[in-house]
Amino acid sequence: MSLRTSKKDLIEYVVTRTIFYIATIFTSVTLIYVLFKFMPVDAVENIIFQLTSAVGGVYDPESVMELRRNLYEMFGLSGGNPIESYILFLQRVFTFNFGPAFISFPTPAFQLVLSRLPWTIGLLLTSTIITWTLGNLLGLIAGYFQNRKFAKVLEAVAIIIYPIPYYVMALILILLFAFLIPIFPLGGGMSIIPEKITLDVILNIIWHSLLPALSLMIPGALGWSFISARTLAIETLSKDYTRYAWIRGLPSRHILRRYVLKNILVPQTTVLALSLGGVFSGAVLTEVIFAYPGVGMLAYRATFSGDLNTLMAVLILSIFAVATSVFLLDLLYPLIDPRIKHR
Amino acid sequence: MSKLKYGRRIISNLIDIYKTSFKFRFGFTVIFLMCIMGFILPLFSPVNPRAWYSVPKEQPPSSRYLLGTTTMGRDVFWELCSSIGKSLTIAVITAMIASHVGLLIGLLAGIRGGLLDRFLMFLTDTFIIIPGFILLVVVVTVMKNFITIPLMGAIISIVSWPWPARQVRSMVLSLRERTFVYTARLSGMNTSKILIFELMPHLLGWHLVNFANTILFSIGTEGSLAIFGLSLLSDNTLGVMLYWAINYYALYRGLWWWISTPIATLVLIFISFYLVSIGLSEYLHRMVR
Repeated sequence: MSLRTSKKDLIEYVVTRTIFYIATIFTSVTLIYVLFKFMPVDAVENIIFQLTSAVGGVYDPESVMELRRNLYEMFGLSGGNPIESYILFLQRVFTFNFGPAFISFPTPAFQLVLSRLPWTIGLLLTSTIITWTLGNLLGLIAGYFQNRKFAKVLEAVAIIIYPIPYYVMALILILLFAFLIPIFPLGGGMSIIPEKITLDVILNIIWHSLLPALSLMIPGALGWSFISARTLAIETLSKDYTRYAWIRGLPSRHILRRYVLKNILVPQTTVLALSLGGVFSGAVLTEVIFAYPGVGMLAYRATFSGDLNTLMAVLILSIFAVATSVFLLDLLYPLIDPRIKHR
Repeated sequence: MSKLKYGRRIISNLIDIYKTSFKFRFGFTVIFLMCIMGFILPLFSPVNPRAWYSVPKEQPPSSRYLLGTTTMGRDVFWELCSSIGKSLTIAVITAMIASHVGLLIGLLAGIRGGLLDRFLMFLTDTFIIIPGFILLVVVVTVMKNFITIPLMGAIISIVSWPWPARQVRSMVLSLRERTFVYTARLSGMNTSKILIFELMPHLLGWHLVNFANTILFSIGTEGSLAIFGLSLLSDNTLGVMLYWAINYYALYRGLWWWISTPIATLVLIFISFYLVSIGLSEYLHRMVR
């Protein structure tokens, strides 16, 4: 068996992953349809009641009927038979037609969410890359020197940090660094509304996103990413082939890099892919706590005004965003693992 | 093995873990104290923990008001006690539903294997990939006026079962290849008997680990929904305490006792449940070897 992968295997792999990607999106959208279909209360009537009974909510009956039709279609509740309503629902989802956003009428909800997506993706991308690299490195070192004092301290810290959700960490950080020791701004995306993008504006944006990013990075780098990397490192170090490498007298740096690190990276990539959904959920809350102008803040405002159009757009688009990043990660996988053995 | 014997073995094992593992001991003690605070102390509460303006407002902690009072004139300590009880109730309901659904799906996938396994794991992974919190936000928003404590627990379980399912499946897969299962199979035991007499004793421990983790996850999720104003705002839970403290800008107005009480309690609860779950899983790892 040769270790080098043939072109055919690679193409087969990419095709399988693409099918998996499409199937994931399709299944999750269908799950949402089923969920609303079997909900014990009438989702649409309930939300219309909330909207129309809100203070100052005087609506033209025509537009309420239009809204009702719109919502019924989007929640897959319209039409006579389930198949028809399912098709109408799918049409809405895959054409991204979620209707107007009430919180910023008459902008389409889809466009509103799209305009906020870069903020969230920027925050998530940088913090995830840093988290994953740092977590793996720290885990590797802590696993390699597992009997040293600093490794034990790191492990104890990780045990405390791991179970703490992102938003609680965000609150703790705000309590410490914006209130007790005021070095960071309390929130927002930037101090001033810029006329054009200059270096100052960019630095200002980075300065404002530092604390939100930290609250996403600490639970990752010292939490899940660290703990699993450490466990994997200890496991790999006790394997026969690593022991054989020691006996052969290979330098320890070589063993760390070629034997341990390489074996950590493969399962850790899978863990990263599986954790992206959770990290995205965490980022949504972090944004709310820091008043960071991303998708999360939008969802927060939409929730408070009962704007289901926008909420549905956020839900569907975040499913697309997370599924796409998992797909891209899958495509990178062959670079790390030369054995591409797909199930 | 009879039911009684099962029960006795579990209890003797738990006592064993309690004696040998510091992590388990610490976590268990804190949870025990929290349960007393959450379920027994509220019975002796001098004030109605749900009533507003029952005590002077914005008092710092003192001997009279142990943890101070809020802007709405509520005693933080008694609010905390009843909140812990309600939050734990929601979490236990979630754990009852989600960990058992997870157990069932994991068992089915692991034992049957083949196409069913692939289908169930695809479903599980899809649920893991969906940003669960946003899904919950949409679900709770449309049900806002109908939410009760048991319903909250049930709703949170929509996104809580995939991890237990994965865990149970991987345990079943590794147990399936062990000698004792082969021995049982070769001596003519059928699948359901192997499942009950050979696999279940091992899986029960992992089920307990999942149970603790699901409680942890549920309390965290309830809190995050509360930040969006999507919890039982007229009742007391740890999340609702956070919600009011944040919405009345407790932090910026220097009312630190109000906001830090729920945060500290949440952190303590998370850490103790996590310690219980690692205490258990370390013990189980030792047993399997």
